[in-house]
Formats: sequence, C-alpha cells, structure tokens
Amino acid sequence: MSPGRHLAIIRAIVAKDLREFSRDRVWKILTPIMLIAYVGLFWLLPSTVEETLTVGVYQRGLGTVMEGLGAAERGLQVVEFDSPTSLAEAVASGESTAGETGGDPIAVGIAFPDDLIPAVAEGRATTVTVYVDSAVPSAQRTAMAAFVREIAYQLAGDVLPVSQLDPQVVVLGVDRAGDQVSPQDRMRPLLAILVLLVESIALAGLVAVEIQSRTAKALVATPATIGDLLAAKGLTGTLLAFGQVVIVLLLIGSFAQEPLLLLTGVLLGSVMMAGVGMLAGSAGRDFMTTLFTSVLFIVPLAVPAFAVFFPGAASAWVQVLPTYGIVQTVVGVTAYGLTWSGAAGYLLMSAAWCLALFGAGWLLLKRRVEAL
Amino acid sequence: MNAAVNDPVAPSTGAEPASGAVPAVSVEDLAYRYGDVEAVRGITFEILPGEVFGFLGPNGAGKTTTIRMLTGQLKPYAGTARILGRVVGRDDPETQAHIGVCFEEKNLYDSMSAEENLRFFASLFGIRDLDAGELLRRVGLGDRGKDRVSTYSKGMRQRLMVARALVNRPMVLFLDEPTDGLDPVSSKAIRAIIRDEADRGAAVLLTTHDMWEADELSDRVAFINDGRIYATDTPENLKLRYGKRSVKVRLRDGGAIREETVPLDDPAAGERLRSAVQAEGLMTIHTEESTLENIFVEMTGRALEA
Repeated sequence: MSPGRHLAIIRAIVAKDLREFSRDRVWKILTPIMLIAYVGLFWLLPSTVEETLTVGVYQRGLGTVMEGLGAAERGLQVVEFDSPTSLAEAVASGESTAGETGGDPIAVGIAFPDDLIPAVAEGRATTVTVYVDSAVPSAQRTAMAAFVREIAYQLAGDVLPVSQLDPQVVVLGVDRAGDQVSPQDRMRPLLAILVLLVESIALAGLVAVEIQSRTAKALVATPATIGDLLAAKGLTGTLLAFGQVVIVLLLIGSFAQEPLLLLTGVLLGSVMMAGVGMLAGSAGRDFMTTLFTSVLFIVPLAVPAFAVFFPGAASAWVQVLPTYGIVQTVVGVTAYGLTWSGAAGYLLMSAAWCLALFGAGWLLLKRRVEAL
Repeated sequence: MNAAVNDPVAPSTGAEPASGAVPAVSVEDLAYRYGDVEAVRGITFEILPGEVFGFLGPNGAGKTTTIRMLTGQLKPYAGTARILGRVVGRDDPETQAHIGVCFEEKNLYDSMSAEENLRFFASLFGIRDLDAGELLRRVGLGDRGKDRVSTYSKGMRQRLMVARALVNRPMVLFLDEPTDGLDPVSSKAIRAIIRDEADRGAAVLLTTHDMWEADELSDRVAFINDGRIYATDTPENLKLRYGKRSVKVRLRDGGAIREETVPLDDPAAGERLRSAVQAEGLMTIHTEESTLENIFVEMTGRALEA
C-alpha cells in the first residue's frame, strides 16, 4: 500500500477522533469553561510586582529621621503611627491605614522609645521594638534589626564600626530590580502545562473507548494497520493539546518574543502529552481506572509549573521531571528573554522525554490493540 | 459412543471444491496456540468464490481464533492461510482490502450515526462514493441512518454490523454469528443478504449456533471441536452419511395406538414398510432425518451450546 493511502487512512481516523471529541458532552462543556477560566484568571493577576516594603513607624520626637536616612531609596515606604499600640495592631491585622499607604499591608513596624535620643547620647541601654507579621521571613526580620541599629548610630552621630569595607552588589544575569517577574508571567507556564495535561486526559479517554468498545479491532481488520491507528492517535492527541495551548497563549499575550521558540516548546509538550494520553488510555480498564491512571501521570508532570508559580518551593529533583524543560522554555521566553541558544538544553531534554513517553505510549497501545 | 466416529475425518471427495477452481480461501494445516493451550490444531479446508461455508462448533472450539488468523489479526503458529491466493500476513492491508468482517461483538462508534459509521469505514478502504442509504436499506435501517448508534437496539446494531462488513463489496466475507439477537424477520433479511453476497461471487465463512440456519444457508459445513475439524461436507451429505434414516409408522391396534420405527438401512426395511402400509389400522407415516446438531453431537460427543 502506498504512503499516500496510509496518510489518507490516518487523516480519516484523526477526523473521526476529533468528531468524537467534539460530541463528548463532558469535553464540550469543560473545554470552553476551562479556556475562559484560565484566561480570566490570568488577566485578574497583577502584571507588576510591588517592590516597596511598607514600614510602620512610631517615632515621637524624632522628626523625619526615617526620611533622612533615605528610606525611599532603600525601597521602604514609611507610615507613621501615633502610638506603639496602634502600630502593633496594624501589623498584627495585616492592614494599613487606608489612604496613607494605598492599601498595602504593613509587614514591619518599628516603635522607637520616646527617650531614644537622650539614651543614645548618654550611652544608656534602651529598647527599640520591631513588630513583624508572622509571615515575614527571618531574613527580613534580621535586615530590619540591622536597619534599626544603623538608625541608632546615625542618631548618635557615629558611623558604623566598619571603615575598610566598601560593599558592592554585583547582579548576576539580568538585573530585575524594578522589573520583577510578575504573577502573570509566573502563571503563564502553569496555564500552558495545565492545558496540555487536561488534553492528555482527553486523548486517554478516546484511546480507552476505542479499546473498551473494541472498535480498534474492527479498524485493524480493514486496510488500516496498527501503525496507522497508533499514528492517528498520536496526531489527534498532539493536535488537541497544541491547538488549545496555542489559543490560550495567544489570549494571554505570550507571543511578543521568540514566537517560534515558544511554539517549538509547546509542540514538544503536546507530543509528550499525546504519549501520556496513549499510556493512560491503554492502561485503563474503564472510565474510572483511565481517570485514575491519568491523574497519576498529571500530578508529577504539573510540579515544575507550580514550582515556577511558587518560587522557593522547588527542589533539585524537579529538574528531572519531563515537563521541566517545557516550563523553563515558556517562562524563559515570555519573562526572561530566553533565546534559542539559551533554550537548547531545555529543548533537548524535552525532546528526549518526548521520545521516551511517546515511545512507551506507542508500545503499550500496540500491545493492547494486538491483544483485542 | 463409537470411538471411530469421534476421530477427525477427511472431507468427502464429493463435496470438495471442483478441481481447477481457484479457492477464495485456502487453509492448510493451520495451527495456533495460546501459551500451552492448542486452540487450533492443524485444520485444512477451502472455500470457493460464491460458496457459503458454515463453520460449526461450540464456544471455545477454535472458530474465532481461525477467523482471527484468516483476517490478519493473529499470526498462525503453523500452517498457511491464503485469501484470494495471497498468503495472509499479520496486519496485511493488501488482503484486508478484499475482506469484510462482521464481529460477534458490536464494536461500532456509538457517538456517530449509522451513515457516519459506514462512511468512515468506507474511507479506510479508499471508497468516497459509498451509497450508505442503499446499504442501510438492505439491512432494514433505511429510515434510521442519521440516528446515533447509541440510540440503537441490539438487533439494529447487529444489522449495522452486517452492513459495515459489506461497505467494500468484499470478495471474502467473515460473518461471526450474524443473526445473533435478531428477531425472525430481521434474521430472514440477513440470510437473504448472505445468499445475495454469495450469488454475487463472494466467498462467505459463516459461524453460527443456529443449525437450522447453517443447514439452510451453507453450501458446505465444517464441524470444528477442540481445535480440530471433524467433518467437512454439504449438509445433505453429512445427514446421509452420518444421520439415522428411518420411517415412523403409527397404527391403531385394537383399542391402543402402536408406533413402529423402520430403519431404512435395515435390509428388511422394504418388506416391513410394505406390510405397515397395507395394515388396516394405519394412521400416519413420518420420515425421520437427523439434524446437523444430532450429527455433531454424535461425532464429537459435545453439544454445540457447551
């Protein structure tokens, strides 16, 4: 049989699969809802990062000492309170005095004692209270304590007891000061991976139905070979995943930079998910086991995307997960100006995983069809 | 039971395909095993174009495994099978282009209509101008062609299965229990279609549990049990060779009714019949023939439903 006939058969099976998908009640309802929800959620997230830390201060008798210390240059917004009690309450409640801070919560409060200046001048011990919200990391608490000590030195007219040190900050990579990766940018790979993973479930469902209803057996009793059937399933899964992820990425404005690189990344992800769909669909014995098997794959595959959305939580093992390269490519292109040369490693790693998962899905589905 | 009868026998020469005719299906010493279990043990038969070949046997006899080997779904463990002169290979599209298969299970696409199912399968054969409506009318589904298969009854699905097997006007047709679950009217329609296909020139391999159907439809039948063919011949010859031919006579004998069975193989049968016919109290005379099922049970020692 000529290659053209094989292609015609594959095209006919793909068209049939897409028709079945479009008629499935669950997907007919779920697909538009998911698209609207994903895109809506993205645009609801802030597109910029607030880099200023709002600090509440009780400083009777100190005038504008904080401003004098260059608080604004240090990224601090100062809000004055008229008593240590109201300052502590503001920090504890996580709220601020609306109008004065524009609604930003006060993460740290510094209550200077009324006798600070005389105490410092006399060299007498005194206490400055630093209030911190329970969610403030310990590093920030330490920094604020150091900041308070510096204030004390300034008030006493002394300099810090270090004269030989000239600290210099060297930023490795792109200096993101004032241009941090926004929640929207961090959400982008998460949405892309979620769309891909959901489409792998859709393909798993199509594969499982084909096996459970034994229509695959009828297919391979025609001139359609098992290879044609497998190729068609892989193509259907790739088309479903790639089509929808491209729509979502378009709607959330992701193609401003290196569109071809981004498309290559998500195409690899789509092929990978087609493999996952074939694996899960072949392993499932009924609807519930197919869903369960799909979830088993989905949970670890979603981790790299969540690691980007919640930075700091990821461990080194995340880097060996199949979707890590896809996630890094998406977030790199859309948020960090990643180029082809920078993405080569990620793409190679993703291609290797693609080959492994698609190959495994192909072999397992082949065995299931042969055993029908 | 006669042990000699249970041994597989060679097909009788009178029922073999005419010499010189090219068989549409040719099977020689075909064997298959699932692990240590021998499902098919070296069977041999041929089916000519235009012939309906009944493949009769109980569940697990090896019928479906044979069909799976002939349709390219299983690779034979030993022996050869040829369809239209070509050795059947595993997953062989060249052979599969000329066959039609009606499976026992109703493996149809439920979310698609009957017409869509037929057109899709026709497209796999490269057929773009299928008259799906005409095909559906043949199986009595002309007015339901646009309905989704999920709304079909079991019988309607079965009729659609038969229609699907015919989309490519196959030269060899494999029908696995094609009238299973059908009402008598639908069964009759399907039997007419099978006969039409044979008259068109298609070779038909038919498996069925319905002995009356096999008797009526089949030009020849093969008894298969335990992976072996026990007999291959026309139904008529099988009945003549292995069946008990007798005449049952009922006589009024005084106040009672007496029945007398006269075996026709008895040398004195003529004399006994003559005297029975001339007897005063003669009421009825019935000829008695064995059914295919009786012969099958006698030959294999196993009931067809087993």
